[in-house]
Amino acid sequence: MYDTIGIWVGAFFTLAIYSFLYKENPVYRLAEHLVVGISLGYTMVLIYNTVILPKLLEPLFAGNHWILIIPGLLGLLYITRFIPSIAWLSRYPIAFIMGTGMGIGFPLTMKAYVLRQLEAAMVPLYESGMPWYEVFGNIVMIFGTLAALIYFFFSKPHKGLFFGTGSKIGIWVIMLGFGATFGFTVMGRISLLIGRIQYLLGDWLHIIE
Amino acid sequence: MSAVNIWEKMLNVDRRWIFLGIGIVSIVPFLIGFGMPITTTIEVEGIFNFMNELGPDDAIFIGFDFAPGTQAENMPMAVAVMRHAFHNHTSVFMTAYVPLGKGMAVSALDYVTNPKTEGFYERVLYEDWVDYREAGITNKEELTVAWESDGNALPEGAVGWVFEGRDYVLLGYLPLFHLVILGMTGSIETQFPVDYHGNPIGDMPILMEHKSLRDVDLAVTTSGSSACVAWITYAREKIGLPIAFGVTGVMATDYFPYIQSGQIVGQMGGLRGAAEYEVLLKENGITRTTDKAFTGMDVQSAAHIFIILLIVMGNIAFFAGGFHKQTKLKGRR
Repeated sequence: MYDTIGIWVGAFFTLAIYSFLYKENPVYRLAEHLVVGISLGYTMVLIYNTVILPKLLEPLFAGNHWILIIPGLLGLLYITRFIPSIAWLSRYPIAFIMGTGMGIGFPLTMKAYVLRQLEAAMVPLYESGMPWYEVFGNIVMIFGTLAALIYFFFSKPHKGLFFGTGSKIGIWVIMLGFGATFGFTVMGRISLLIGRIQYLLGDWLHIIE
Repeated sequence: MSAVNIWEKMLNVDRRWIFLGIGIVSIVPFLIGFGMPITTTIEVEGIFNFMNELGPDDAIFIGFDFAPGTQAENMPMAVAVMRHAFHNHTSVFMTAYVPLGKGMAVSALDYVTNPKTEGFYERVLYEDWVDYREAGITNKEELTVAWESDGNALPEGAVGWVFEGRDYVLLGYLPLFHLVILGMTGSIETQFPVDYHGNPIGDMPILMEHKSLRDVDLAVTTSGSSACVAWITYAREKIGLPIAFGVTGVMATDYFPYIQSGQIVGQMGGLRGAAEYEVLLKENGITRTTDKAFTGMDVQSAAHIFIILLIVMGNIAFFAGGFHKQTKLKGRR
């Protein structure tokens, strides 16, 4: 029974959202506001049940873990944003989070995002026994990377063989990347539509399995 | 009507006609079913082959790092990997990087264990096999034999048992999940003392054998945001945990460099990636049929053909109408 009601509600709001494709209307706005409101409400309840209650309130009321008062108070300082005269206090938890995040994350992030990628770009153009397509791939990757970097080098005018031709090739490389991203984006958007159609034709109308 | 007007009309066609066209070409293939073939790529084969090497002594994490907005793309990936793991008796930890991901994990598990699903797994809840645990029977093979010898029979259509706490555990969501990943490199239990249902995970056989991410063999993050990179940063780079990506189509090109750098074992990009995994599961006899992603690929192809036609027609109208010589294009929108 509840499942059936849920499916009908889901189908109604799916169609409500798609009604925007014809033109904006009150039913679409109702659905849009409900998505935002329900997501936020759900998240608040979830965080209360999974974090605030078991990790702060229960240990505190159990009479031990008094150290938790410190993070608890830090968290409460966020609420001072609503009182302009003491709003500056909210900077303390933000600073704590930012500092901790930077301290913990910086070395690993540097390694994951920069060093590993640099390492992967340092490949030999040719080695004995290397198949031709791998050689070709390495050439494209190395010169493509360099050309794209030249395009973003703005301290010199893009003229001459090195900067002029290099930046022109760089634009082509970047455009190829954008083209691939656009293609995947179209696929992604259609996939979301497919998911909704499967829901409407399958779960709701039972026309397809 | 002059020729120029026809081209102008083509370029200014009401976009609602295009939406209608997309709607029609997206519905019709579901009703007709072309069954277009899908070839697999090395990115998806990389994940499949890695998963296929895992057995009952191994464990994986499936990160439900997406919200319902990208469910259509990410859910089939998670479901396919989960079925592969259950088939190989590989233990599965389920987590969520985003609050709504917890519901996604529940939905995926419900789908894989739903009797209406072709080739479903029969779920045994944690409290239902307490006697066996107390008797020290936690080995999957012994547990199945003992369970069935007590009169429990697999329902018709089911392909196997999955015991909560032995074959899988749903850990759920915690805020600042990148720090949770970091914490799990030391101990999973310190981050998640209890599972989704409130059962202490320290007593679970799955955790006794896999106490931290160091004891885990693969993390598959199905993600609709940059959350997937946190697994690389905090698990791959810190302890060398192999990572696989299941990302939305929009994100796929951003993460190909991670394959080339060897930071991930493979990547499923969008619905196509999920469909490829379903094909590999079927071809290798792990599932009897393909699933929702494969079904959706007919629609994907039809919609792409329609979009390509529109682009070609738009370009013909643009150049044939001489609009490329004008600096400003007249239009209603």
